Amino acid sequence: MNTSGEMRFRMLDRIVELEPDVHITAVKQLRADEEYLQDHFPRFPVMPGVLMLEAMFQASMWLVRFSEQFAHSVVLLSEVRNIKFADFVVPGQTLTVNASIQEQHETTTKLKAQGTVDGSVAVTGRLVLERFSLSDRYPEQGTLDPFTRREARREFERLYQPAN
Amino acid sequence: MPTKDEIFEKVRTALIDALGVDDDEVTANATMVGDLGAESIDFLDIVFRLEKAFEIEIPRSELFPEDILTNAEYVHDGKVTDSGISELKKRMPYADLTKFEANPVVQDFGNLLTVSDLCRYVESKVGAEG
Amino acid sequence: MRWFWIDRFVEFESGSRAVAVKNISLIEEQMIGYVPGFPAMPASLIIEGLAQTGGLLVCEHNQFQERVVLAKVTKARFPQPAMAGDTLIYTALIQDIREDGAICRGTCHVQDQLRAEVELVFAHLDDSFQEGDLFDPANFLRTLRTLRLFEVGRNSDGEPLPIPSHMLAAEEADNHQAGDRE
Repeated sequence: MNTSGEMRFRMLDRIVELEPDVHITAVKQLRADEEYLQDHFPRFPVMPGVLMLEAMFQASMWLVRFSEQFAHSVVLLSEVRNIKFADFVVPGQTLTVNASIQEQHETTTKLKAQGTVDGSVAVTGRLVLERFSLSDRYPEQGTLDPFTRREARREFERLYQPAN
Repeated sequence: MPTKDEIFEKVRTALIDALGVDDDEVTANATMVGDLGAESIDFLDIVFRLEKAFEIEIPRSELFPEDILTNAEYVHDGKVTDSGISELKKRMPYADLTKFEANPVVQDFGNLLTVSDLCRYVESKVGAEG
Repeated sequence: MRWFWIDRFVEFESGSRAVAVKNISLIEEQMIGYVPGFPAMPASLIIEGLAQTGGLLVCEHNQFQERVVLAKVTKARFPQPAMAGDTLIYTALIQDIREDGAICRGTCHVQDQLRAEVELVFAHLDDSFQEGDLFDPANFLRTLRTLRLFEVGRNSDGEPLPIPSHMLAAEEADNHQAGDRE
């Protein structure tokens, strides 16, 4: 048993564009064989709204992490406002997620995010992300910080391969 | 009975909560759709909050006269006819339709409603119920 | 991963309120590698747990004959992360149900500690949207039975919640079909 491993709950395929402290663009294709489509819905398979939100969160998370050079080990979603699901995403379509930073504070970041399919808006909303290191809040877990940060960087490198 | 200012403040709070917009974005002349980004799904949220805040009932057709706008009798070539306009005026006496009347394109109607139209609507409901 | 984000209903008052539980386990797919070394439940999936609790409550109000989908998350806040080993208690309250949709407020607790507070807007897909159910009626009923909805379900008089006849009929027809093949 070991606790490292690829992020299974990955809702992005690739980071396409990244401007630290400003903006990120990432994409996610909905594949017809994704298991949750069997249940959502059996007769009308579409990307669940919360997974569209998760894609917006993960893009925002990578923007925050990269911008601070992975200084903190944990970045989580702390608040959302007005997440609107304007349209469905069906298998085969690609959701393009854009997120931009509105405000930066010591432990929180406010972002505006949007997901589009072929230029048409499918989801919008505002997110607040929180960042901290385990040593800040859970001192007994503090020695995990270097491991957590390293694994986060590894995962990021799987998604972001800028052309050289 | 609440004053116009009190009504405006409560309407503003409802819009901020439902639409996630900032305080200063909600001005009297701001349009619900164009300026505040309200979409059809938001109206459910807005209507609920207004009903709760003012203890009134808001039948959908009083704010969204879809039945008039989709009636062949009142719409020709994408524009609302004179009889359609008078129906709209009857249904929504609180709304300022002068701009729309000048060029009554059906598609534009959704963008008509302003924050002050909404306040006047609430005033009419609250006043009527004493 | 499959898409069941509640394990079981423990309370279900038709038209009013429902409580469901969900156990978070380290072995679940979304936990692996999400935050390595810190197995926190993704917030979006907590929203989904509440959406399923509240959505089925809204859906039952019209005898499961409306197509209910999540249209908006007006707001949600997560004061503390929920972790592997926690049992999440989802409580959904109907604020309003109308012809075109419903508004629901929900909380998620671990014991008495708040882990999420959420406001959701559901839409009823109307006729302008393509025809057809979202679920096969017999299988949908089986899912609701698995979640113990009708076991704990009560109507507003406190009487046991009846299963809508159209669903029982679909289940019976399907069982009959399966029986013929044996």
